[in-house]
Amino acid sequence: MISDPTNRAAGPSLDLERRVANVLIGATYLSLGLIGLGVLLMIAGGVSPLDQALAFDPGRFVDDILAGRPEGVLWLGLVAVIGTPTVRVTASLISYLRDGERPMVLVAAGILGVIAASVLLATGLGG
Amino acid sequence: MAAGLLMIAGGTAAGIFGSLLGLGGGILIVPLLTLGFGLPLREAVGVSLVSVIATSGASAGVYLQRHMANLRLGMTLELFTALGALVGALVAFLIPDRALAGLFAALLLYVAVTMIRSGLRRGARDDGLAADAPAADLENTDPPGTLDRLSGPDYRVRNLGPAVGGSLFAGVVSALLGVGGGIVKVPVMHLVMGVPLRVAAATSNLMIGVTASASAIIYLLRGEIDPLVAGPTVLGVFVGATIGSRSAHRVDVRVLRLLFVVVLFYTAWQMIERALR
Repeated sequence: MISDPTNRAAGPSLDLERRVANVLIGATYLSLGLIGLGVLLMIAGGVSPLDQALAFDPGRFVDDILAGRPEGVLWLGLVAVIGTPTVRVTASLISYLRDGERPMVLVAAGILGVIAASVLLATGLGG
Repeated sequence: MAAGLLMIAGGTAAGIFGSLLGLGGGILIVPLLTLGFGLPLREAVGVSLVSVIATSGASAGVYLQRHMANLRLGMTLELFTALGALVGALVAFLIPDRALAGLFAALLLYVAVTMIRSGLRRGARDDGLAADAPAADLENTDPPGTLDRLSGPDYRVRNLGPAVGGSLFAGVVSALLGVGGGIVKVPVMHLVMGVPLRVAAATSNLMIGVTASASAIIYLLRGEIDPLVAGPTVLGVFVGATIGSRSAHRVDVRVLRLLFVVVLFYTAWQMIERALR
């Protein structure tokens, strides 16, 4: 007979899953909405995927979006897609901290550490 | 704009196929973009990674809402898939395009052969997938508290050590080839750890996001993701995956599987030619 190790924390655990699911679904649809808008701008502006795109530059998002350039909205959407899992892990970390689950706090912090290392390494290599 | 519409259509087809066959769209997007649109392999891998994050996000959320995915287990293993993905993405920039094409061809052939074998096994047994196959009985050195925390209400996980190794490997494969890595993660969780197949598939889906984003960040910041290509493709794959998941019960997957195996062999051949060029 297998004991139910999740019984003790079943309530908070289910709440946590629901919260994390809502974050995940909301962020995914938001980012896909941005990408959809960017594709509509591409179609409206007659921009082809085979055209030369503007390079990724976080400092230009706002200017590109205000100028109605599809790249600006597309970059924002793509960064949002790539960032969604990080938002999900951060939401989990906060919930585990609140519930006092130290091992899972360490796991979540470790994942965020690996993602931060990706950014640092990519920036270092790019430079 | 014809190319954009073709990319949306191609992404949609890849999403439908991948969703119906439980493979994710990644395995088809890279060949579509490289062989169909002439994109360099690394750029195609970068776009594919973004696509798999987008498609896994919404479905993983639904799995969590239905309590089908094991969040604790998924997060513990994705620490290692993310590490593997970080290493894989760095390695991807060190090896030539031709070597990547060769590796991708090997992956396609492996998937094709696996699909043929599972089709034959299913035909012989006619009892579907071995949903409750027991985990391999490896020497277990995991502390019991850790395993209890990662177990579900009606199953107990084991063999965490080998699963960590498998997760690292899955991350490397994902980052190098732009796929979700479920082809490694699901068997590791199901056969090695004793996680029921449906939970393993749902948990793998949850893990894809973090795994792919650890490497997609590197592709993005190194300028290997073109927004004008990624936008239509990601949108198409997401729409296709949504259609596929909603129509799965109405489609005869046996015919589709056969067609898919032919496509995989043809694509593998094209990739081999590219590797040898």
